Amino acid sequence: MAGLLQGEALLPEQIAGLLGLSGTVGAAVGALIGAFVVGNVMLAQTGVAGPWAKRKITAGFTDRIAVNRIGPFGLFIIVADAVRLLSKELIVPQGADRPSYDLAPLILPASAMLGFAVIPMGNLGPFNIQLADPEAGLALVFAFASIASVSLVMGGYASNNKYSLMGGLRAVAQNIAYEIPLIVTAMSVVVFAGSLQMGEIVAAQTETLVSVAGVGIPSWFAFVNPFAFVLFLVANMAEIGRNPFDIPEAPTEIVAGYQTEYSSVYFVLFYLGEFLHIFLGGAIMATIFLGGPAGPVLPGFVWFIVKIWAFFLFTQWARSALPRVRIDQLIEIGWKGMLVLSFANLVLTAIIVGVIA
Amino acid sequence: MSVELPADANAVQTPEEIEGVLGDLVIGRDDHENAPGFVIKPDTVVDALDRLREQAGFDHLSCVTAQEYADRYESIYHLTSYADRTKEVSIVVPTDKENPVSQSANEVFRTADWHEREAYDLVGIEYDEHPDLRRILLPETWQGHPLGQSYDQDRPQVVPLREHANPLKEDQQADDGETMFLNIGPHHPATHGVLHIKTVLDGEQVVDLEPDIGYLHRCEEQMCQNSTYRYQIMPYPDRWDYISAGLLNEWAYARTAEQLADIEVPEYAQVIRTMGAELCRMAAHFLALGTFALDIYGDFTALFMYSIRDREKVQNILEELTGQRLMFNYFRLGGVVWDLPEPREEFFEMTRDFLDELPTALEEYHDMMTSNEILQMRTVDTGVLPPDVAKSYGATGPVARASGIEYDVRRDDPYGYYENLDWDVITEDGCDNFSRLLVRMREVEESAKIVEQCVDLLEDWPEDERTIQSNVPRTIKPDDDTEIYKAVEGAKGELGIYMRADGTEKPARFKIRSPCFSNLQTLPEMSNGEYVPDAIASLGSLDIVLGEVDR
Repeated sequence: MAGLLQGEALLPEQIAGLLGLSGTVGAAVGALIGAFVVGNVMLAQTGVAGPWAKRKITAGFTDRIAVNRIGPFGLFIIVADAVRLLSKELIVPQGADRPSYDLAPLILPASAMLGFAVIPMGNLGPFNIQLADPEAGLALVFAFASIASVSLVMGGYASNNKYSLMGGLRAVAQNIAYEIPLIVTAMSVVVFAGSLQMGEIVAAQTETLVSVAGVGIPSWFAFVNPFAFVLFLVANMAEIGRNPFDIPEAPTEIVAGYQTEYSSVYFVLFYLGEFLHIFLGGAIMATIFLGGPAGPVLPGFVWFIVKIWAFFLFTQWARSALPRVRIDQLIEIGWKGMLVLSFANLVLTAIIVGVIA
Repeated sequence: MSVELPADANAVQTPEEIEGVLGDLVIGRDDHENAPGFVIKPDTVVDALDRLREQAGFDHLSCVTAQEYADRYESIYHLTSYADRTKEVSIVVPTDKENPVSQSANEVFRTADWHEREAYDLVGIEYDEHPDLRRILLPETWQGHPLGQSYDQDRPQVVPLREHANPLKEDQQADDGETMFLNIGPHHPATHGVLHIKTVLDGEQVVDLEPDIGYLHRCEEQMCQNSTYRYQIMPYPDRWDYISAGLLNEWAYARTAEQLADIEVPEYAQVIRTMGAELCRMAAHFLALGTFALDIYGDFTALFMYSIRDREKVQNILEELTGQRLMFNYFRLGGVVWDLPEPREEFFEMTRDFLDELPTALEEYHDMMTSNEILQMRTVDTGVLPPDVAKSYGATGPVARASGIEYDVRRDDPYGYYENLDWDVITEDGCDNFSRLLVRMREVEESAKIVEQCVDLLEDWPEDERTIQSNVPRTIKPDDDTEIYKAVEGAKGELGIYMRADGTEKPARFKIRSPCFSNLQTLPEMSNGEYVPDAIASLGSLDIVLGEVDR
């Protein structure tokens, strides 16, 4: 029994093994249970992040206290907010284009959840938390993540509202402009790792880069190629639409962009989706630049959570401190700046790797 | 008419010289307390104003007042000069009771556009050659003109939105199919109140933009006309620009009424007034800073909270002084209502503490805001308002000063204790959103200088000379048919009041010249051709308060 939990086996296989199932049935049951667990862990995190952590963090940056009345540290606001949001009236605007109006809020969180399927989240006890490790893992995760723009356009277009339409159009313009630098920068990592498989990319970052006073600094790609890391970070912020690139929502300009007309459950789904995408963005960054779940002492899964929360904290910091760029400036930065830099980075990396190898 | 005219337009000063400029257009005199008044025929308005602007330097149409007498209608154009505020003239245009049509001044001063629309809306005078004579404060479906003498107040008014205008009724698509019509407001996160902006967009760019105001019209002028000079009017000014600028507004009324009724104000009260007013200006500018940050940053960021925090400190001081946090009602005709709070030392210490912390706070703003590259990218060279356009629209306050116009009523037409204190008028030459931000931030420093000097003065003021009010009669009845227009420097610019006395204890006509009203008119000039976010930023940089725009 114990042997089954060891080694390279992924979570679904481990679960199937624990249940004593094998073959197609085992794979299906293991995958379902595994996906259920991982999905709920991620949803629970967004549940903490949305109504509570985001408020607390922003309050910390802006000299306030934020939620502190219900429960310890105001934590029960999560329950209160859930009840409040779900009990609100669901208003569907006249002339909304259904069913795309209803599908949009489902696609956004779903696309992010799909992305988590290939992320290696490290070990927790005997379990190796990763649902699948296909050879084209990195390409797959980007493919899943970019489904989000479909949802934004659908929501924006179907709402029958001009602000929503503008938000949807902005979302597309922005995603196209930043997806390319994002993926090209990720390619430079692939050049190092020699594989698109997430497991391989993490494994390639385990060696020690340099030893300083007996403490080994691992060869995380953020240390190997900090320039690519910064490029990726910026492109990632734009990709998930966070400040200073929150153009598709842009409160004060276009009210709330694509989600202007969404209320109640649909609103919650949009918010869940947005937070999931922040975490997915963090997960991708952690995997390809920060050594995945690697870290001393604590289990890998804990380190993974710490890393994605660090990215979340970073987005909230930017939100509290940075002005929003204008749409034309955003596009300009994307096409004239990021694209050129990311290609330069790729070519340089390829040359260096080619020379060394 | 054999007056020798000076060669320099700005040198035209005396009523005789002005009459010389106007020449045969003058058909009579109707002098006001503050300025000589010349009566002209309704069809010579453009000619008269043009001559005054070109030959006599009257380049600032401060206000247009309309009113109805028993035998006539009357439009008064209150003119002054950006170069010399003490130089004033009133052009009085009487029109026929049966057919009240007067020529529009829009051709000479763009600001006349809205002012005349308001006159038409509330009083009922029609303006010939006006480009767009519609109601401005009241809904299109309103029946009658409420400040006219024959207005039937019992008549029910049916003004639902669908009767007035239904922006959703048609698709509102422009003929060429290239543009999109967009309603920004009345409910929108960036309109700072209930303001409706009809916008035509080409993609993300603004092709045309038209502010639609009046949602917050509360009949402030009429309420003042129904109140006594002595006690009942003073609480209302707090409610015009309600963003902490209460004392500045109260001063506008106090100054006008005191000159009308010939009331002296003790020096000690003037110092307290000056200090209170500058504290209000700081509070108002802090809020302007915070909300501008909100418009640019797009979220309730650290900057917004910091500026609210600093405004809170000012509010605490004002609460100690006046007993109120927003609707102060602290000024009285002839002084202020009570002396500084006891123990005085504590009040001085509180104020000094705030002033001591201020430089650090301002440095923080500069670190986070003005030296932020993204903010500079967003604000520099956007929402440009050239000085000549600003003057034509009657822009005043920080908006005018950011366009390089050195104009400040506090210095140019001194009142209170300002002329005895050491401070500067702040100007910037950028004419853009960034300059308007900078002007406000630097004006906070100037206000701090003024407050500090006032605190010094008050601390050393001999105890037996602390007169807070002069002797003012219980009822004030200025002489029949005296008229006056006076202005002070409010937080947003020149806040003027016109009053006409009819021998009773209530004014026969009370007209408010709101700086925001004139400043908001410049928005299309600043925004056309810009991107939507810049139009929003320009609106924020104007720092309007709808309570003052709509009154």
